[in-house]
Amino acid sequence: MKKILAALLATAMTLSLAACGGGGTSTPAASTPAGSNPSASTPAASGDKVAISVIAAEYGKQTKDWWSNFQTEFNGSHDNIDLNVEVVSWNDIYTVVNTRISNNAAPDILNIDVFADYQADDLLRPIQECVSDETYAKFYDAFLEQSNIDGTIWAIPDLASARAMYYNKDILDAAGVDTVPTTWAELKAACEKIKAYDANIYPWGVDMTTDEGQACFAYYSWTNGGDFLGADGSWALNSAENVEAVEYIVGLVKDGLTNSDPATQTRYDLQELFAAGKLAMMIGPNQISSYVASSDNPINFGIASIPANEGKSTSSVGVMDRFMVFENDDTDDKIDAIKEFFNFFYEDTRYSDWVIMEDFLPATKTGGEIMAAANPDAASWIEIVGSAKFYPTAQAKWADVKQGVIDVEQQALLGGNVKELLDALQAKIAG
Amino acid sequence: MSTKTPAAPARQQSQQREPRLPNPGNKKLFRTVEPYIWIAPSIILMAIFIVTPIVKVFQLSMNKVTRAGKLKGFNNFENFTTVIKDPSFALVLKNTILWTIAVVVLSTLLGFILALILNNEFKGRKVARAIVVFPWATTLVIQASAWKFIVNTDYGTLNTLLMKMGIISAPMNWTSTPAAWFTWEIACGIFVTIPFVCFCVLSGLQSIDNSYYEAATVDGAGYFQKLFKITLPLVKSSLTVSTVLNIIYVFNSFPIIWTMTKGDPANHTDTLVTYLYKLAFYNGKQGEASAVSVIGFIILLICASIYMIYTLRKGDEDL
Repeated sequence: MKKILAALLATAMTLSLAACGGGGTSTPAASTPAGSNPSASTPAASGDKVAISVIAAEYGKQTKDWWSNFQTEFNGSHDNIDLNVEVVSWNDIYTVVNTRISNNAAPDILNIDVFADYQADDLLRPIQECVSDETYAKFYDAFLEQSNIDGTIWAIPDLASARAMYYNKDILDAAGVDTVPTTWAELKAACEKIKAYDANIYPWGVDMTTDEGQACFAYYSWTNGGDFLGADGSWALNSAENVEAVEYIVGLVKDGLTNSDPATQTRYDLQELFAAGKLAMMIGPNQISSYVASSDNPINFGIASIPANEGKSTSSVGVMDRFMVFENDDTDDKIDAIKEFFNFFYEDTRYSDWVIMEDFLPATKTGGEIMAAANPDAASWIEIVGSAKFYPTAQAKWADVKQGVIDVEQQALLGGNVKELLDALQAKIAG
Repeated sequence: MSTKTPAAPARQQSQQREPRLPNPGNKKLFRTVEPYIWIAPSIILMAIFIVTPIVKVFQLSMNKVTRAGKLKGFNNFENFTTVIKDPSFALVLKNTILWTIAVVVLSTLLGFILALILNNEFKGRKVARAIVVFPWATTLVIQASAWKFIVNTDYGTLNTLLMKMGIISAPMNWTSTPAAWFTWEIACGIFVTIPFVCFCVLSGLQSIDNSYYEAATVDGAGYFQKLFKITLPLVKSSLTVSTVLNIIYVFNSFPIIWTMTKGDPANHTDTLVTYLYKLAFYNGKQGEASAVSVIGFIILLICASIYMIYTLRKGDEDL
């Protein structure tokens, strides 16, 4: 009897504690997200009004207020539309959206980074159906192409950011580095000089963490003529250029020319070290400028292109987020309301406000012109983002590739053979 | 706010209730149903917040789940086979077992010793007990962040302290290998688990009648004889509870490892829980993540059952 009792007790205890611990993490929570707008609730058509629900990502502290004002202004000027914007933090947004989808309550419009997974499940509408021609013409063509699957554009960009090399001018001068490195060889030579000048300063910042290791792969692959995809559009992860790129950066780590722990030090850790004058050079997004400028003792820094291998051209890494429209058995009135939403959002002044407020870069040509005219520093960044390369997020296997290249980098740090690791990843992804 | 009507005498209350249940049959029925009414809220809450997620996890683990969270039907346990075939799963399972055993065994041992010390009469005992509670009263994320800060190479307090004491001349990298990171994570795990064991054991120690020790002293028993023949057998039930709960808590612990390393590099510091989190929310593989969750649940169920059956049987034999 006691055995049965014990087994029952153990089951009950494990059940309850497993639910508190592991179980909860893998199950999408059905509750309202903590970061959501308290005023936002499930929209319902009031009278003859057309209801549109939007889930938007929370980029910063001001995002909620900005959307709240937007909602008020939009509803104030559109008597026939009832717009409801729910702002959700990046930590929760994927879970929230997936839960809504599995409960057949997808939002009408979603602002997030990825779109291919939703498209693969036939959940999205082709975006051109939902955006007026006038608004659609505002986007950079290269940006729209990033959301192209089988010749159809499924999403439009809301904002972008680009990466470049940041360097501490004072450290480079003191270490005798006369010219800012533009090639891999010059970069290594500069790192060696900085290390010889002061062993307590890290010459080069590397982030190979789960958070952003894929960016590290892109920085060196793209500046060595490599890529995630081959010319024929199939995965080419184990190309000679990619192997050489990973070996180069792992070599810098092993030679002690980088931060001490690239597998656990994120870009934010590097950003802090750079702002504190403990890191001489790093690759980062445009927001680092304002981060460094806002510190107590701003360092004297410069921005340059990401160094490339001899004879290869440099390339910036662009990152962009998107708007997409879910297929919810919509009426023509609703599609018109959605078009009106985008017209309102991408209205040049309002859109520039949004991008400047979030400290990102614009994804529309007109927005870029306004920002460049207002701020000369932004002009160079807008030029960089206009020519940047993007991750192949339209590929259905991108999430596996992203995690795969991070794993390769981390295994290589632990002594793994880069060629063998990339061969194995290629076989796994392409097979 | 009304301040009148404090507790009415019991007889008066029963007199007030009487007119509502005049029929003895109804009263009997009420008595039978009454306990279920009282436990109904707990049962309902458990069903919503515990049973439903568990059922959902089992359902997800046996279905093909798209990245957007759509269920595409039973997939012949493919999630389980994919997870088990992945070479990193064996590493993660090994880490989980090592993590659970190291944290539970060492924290039980240290917590027990600390409880013995705190059970003695000494000046400032209350303050010492309060200090022991501190790690328990702080959230795990804060604890793990503090530990990460302490061992940081560049601005960590450990390096600063050792340099000020003149023990080292330049900052040392305390986390140069995955094994070093994992050791620090285990150390943090032990530190935050000790208070729980300590207070479980302390409650057991305080219930032991002092006359046992007096009798043993008269019979000439030494410190260790008293410890092993009196103290240990009498706090065994407290230790059982703390150990079983710890096995489950530590096995499922997420914040320490996630805050310090996120399981990096290359899964070398991952446990099942951080691994399934990455599978679900970084790789979008909710089906496989749920399969890992179910495997963890089964392992825990077996461990907890064996341990409880064993200790209860021992209890029977002792009687």
